[in-house]
Amino acid sequence: MELRYYIIRRLLLLIPTILGLTVLTFLLMRAFPNYQLVQGYINPHSSIPVSVQMLNAEKALGLNYPPPVQYIYYLKDLFLGNWGQMSTTFYSGPVLRGIEYFFPNTVQLAIFSIILSIIIAIPLGTYIGARPNTAADQAGRVFSLAFYAMPTFWLALILQIILGQDVIYGNPFGIFPIQGSFQPTSINPLHPPSWLINTQLGTVLSSPTHLILIDALIHGDFAVASSAFMSLVLPVVTLTLTLLAGILRFVRAGMVDAASQEYVKTARSKGVPERLVIKRHIRKNALIPTVTVLGLLFASLLGGVVTIEYVFGYPGIGLFGLNAVLQNQIFGVMGTTLIFGLILVMANLIVDVVYALIDPRIRY
Amino acid sequence: MLVNEIDKTKITRDDYLVVQNLKTQFFTSKGIVKAIDSVSFSVKEGEVYGIVGESGCGKSVTATSIMDLVPDPPGRIIGGSIYIDGFDIISDTDKLVKITVKSETDVKIKRNKRLIKRHNYIISRIRGKKIAMIFQEPSLALNPVMTIGDQIIENILLHNMVSISESIIRRETIKDQDLDNFLSEASAIKNHSDLKRYVQRWARDFGMPDIEDSILNVLSSNAAKPFVRKELVELIIPQRKGVNINIFKETKDYHDDLNKLLDLNLKLLNSENKADTAGIARYEQEVKNLERQMRTKYLTFNLKRIILKKTYQRVFQEEARRRAIELLKLVNIAGPERVIDSYPHELSGGMQQRSMIAMALASDPRLLIADEPTTALDVTTQAQILDLIRELNKFTGSSVIFITHDLAVIAEMCNRVAVMYAGNIVEEASVDDIFTNSKHPYTTGLLKSIPRTDINVARNLRMESIPGNVPNLITPPTGCRFNPRCQHKMDVCEKSKPKLVDVGDGHKVACFLYSDLTDGDN
Repeated sequence: MELRYYIIRRLLLLIPTILGLTVLTFLLMRAFPNYQLVQGYINPHSSIPVSVQMLNAEKALGLNYPPPVQYIYYLKDLFLGNWGQMSTTFYSGPVLRGIEYFFPNTVQLAIFSIILSIIIAIPLGTYIGARPNTAADQAGRVFSLAFYAMPTFWLALILQIILGQDVIYGNPFGIFPIQGSFQPTSINPLHPPSWLINTQLGTVLSSPTHLILIDALIHGDFAVASSAFMSLVLPVVTLTLTLLAGILRFVRAGMVDAASQEYVKTARSKGVPERLVIKRHIRKNALIPTVTVLGLLFASLLGGVVTIEYVFGYPGIGLFGLNAVLQNQIFGVMGTTLIFGLILVMANLIVDVVYALIDPRIRY
Repeated sequence: MLVNEIDKTKITRDDYLVVQNLKTQFFTSKGIVKAIDSVSFSVKEGEVYGIVGESGCGKSVTATSIMDLVPDPPGRIIGGSIYIDGFDIISDTDKLVKITVKSETDVKIKRNKRLIKRHNYIISRIRGKKIAMIFQEPSLALNPVMTIGDQIIENILLHNMVSISESIIRRETIKDQDLDNFLSEASAIKNHSDLKRYVQRWARDFGMPDIEDSILNVLSSNAAKPFVRKELVELIIPQRKGVNINIFKETKDYHDDLNKLLDLNLKLLNSENKADTAGIARYEQEVKNLERQMRTKYLTFNLKRIILKKTYQRVFQEEARRRAIELLKLVNIAGPERVIDSYPHELSGGMQQRSMIAMALASDPRLLIADEPTTALDVTTQAQILDLIRELNKFTGSSVIFITHDLAVIAEMCNRVAVMYAGNIVEEASVDDIFTNSKHPYTTGLLKSIPRTDINVARNLRMESIPGNVPNLITPPTGCRFNPRCQHKMDVCEKSKPKLVDVGDGHKVACFLYSDLTDGDN
């Protein structure tokens, strides 16, 4: 009961946080001169002169009002789904639609790697944390420290070299494609599927979920689905290794810390078998600090996603944002920032709720 | 008589716990801490045995050694015997690990994993069941993420499956004869508190502890006998759940056999200890036979247990929960139905310690080790907890080892007292002898350092204290470990270690002032 009120209160607290976020993105945006802001609205091939186009765009965006009023216009546009226009070599069109196209791919990467790393890290951390300073523990620590310290892009490149297909020189272990969300060669050229949309900009989009793996499965095209799955492997493995290393460190540290607590002695003095002491008494307490850092690890995961998507040419929100940055598309940058901010806020909310669920001492 | 050399044959029936020449050391990077150096004592059934001394003198290590809870690494019991109920639980200590000491800081410890596994199995079935322990700081000793109830129920379900199954079977198959027996026996009891105890036991044996108060009310109402009987039947009928009792019969058999297996393992261990080849062969065979029998006998039972896991567990959980509430009542917790679902942090220190005690009592242990149970509590709570422990000692008849640095608490609680100093027992006597006729200079010093308003203020004296500190146990003083702080130090004290000798009436002291100067260990 109490937990429900806590969740509702936390959801209400989201409103000021998100408003703060919009203030931030608005101020950042206003740091740019007007002619840069409206760039996405200019069509150089149009018969209307560029200067007139610029004036119209400024008017539409409310840029001729004082900044506080502009902020109101900005908020209105955000709520109405009008997040601005952008045109890059990667994607051209409304920002929100771009996010709709590419965000699912990022979510897919993140969810796969989060689930994988949690289901590996918790049992593994429990195992090595219950046996501190043994050979297994040392190996686990070396593993987690190495991957925690390794730059994501470097790990991605190494994996590409070891496990990636090499079309020019050939790679005996190369079974996984290293670029894109699927391989165009898997499409039957005689009957190209209608649910694939070519955006003319080198990216192929699918409907209805914009996730090629899921869409191919929905339409029963297993060649495309398996190609999409294989393309997922390397980016997911890279992200998983980094995240896994982080979680493993904290689970292990939490286990070692909890094992030295007095209540573990109590449990043993009751005659609880060692297996249950570890499972019921030590691990339950060890997971509390782990959940706290999961929120932080999630932030670093988002940073990792941008690099990973770039290295693997994976059409996600990271690649979308990166292109916007490189090609001076302010609305694209701000849209990405807003989405990343929203994800972080939501992730922290989930962490707080889980925290309240597993630690009865939390007052809410 | 030299106490250190008690013969095993002299362990009397009423000695529930006998500790002989116990040695516990900690192998640290700075050197070997000789925390317990040949400690011997015994605790009789129903006795409250006190262990007193300054901090760092080995009281708690003694307690954790008895429970085999010494944190390993760095600590290990390296020798001695601990007899519980006649069985030496650490007889195999030198087989579990091979310790080669090259120097103080260079110690190789080789563990025999197979034997350690068996040892842990045996010890975990003795812990909690035969000996239970309560700790100094209840707020740390209770698991913060489990409710009080879950922690007590865990203990009940670990050790009491046989008695729970029995009481469910009895409840479901209760006969007129049982009721008649109960009524006639109850009417023979005149004393109210005896009657209450009898009803409590009966209600628990018949798996209906929640209606114990109502039964008592019915019995105390001076109604005619047939009327009482009718009311009782009305109370009991709704208690019967009409469950299938076969599963409880099987559970009882299964856990009976598990206990049998434990007994056989203990006997096997004892034979190994005595190098009795005939015994080893016999018990090894019996263990094997029983294990084989159990595998076939409980095949369907185990399958059923896995498939019906939820339903199976629920019945036992419910029963254990009723018992947990009973236990909370026993330790005078107000509102046990509410407390059982609270988390430790929601309770006060006194309530936490009461819950700890309830948890320790969950499986009717015959020895309770209380390691400074009141040190972390305020004075009024302390008095209540002490009263509670004393009452329970009388009520359940179990022995208590009471560890404290507070001599006033010792005077209040104990029958016999051991004074420990730097890992040795320096004096052991009845509580009266310790306070009126202390022999060892350390005991005398401890007694003088109790703050007293009557003497010190009246004579304008300052409180006395023992000069110096407890020695570093990596390099303990040679000879008597107390010699650097002793006012009566003689030459022999540095050279040789005094043995604990009886100076009359079971009053034992380890000091050359009271023994032959040649009678020591070099």
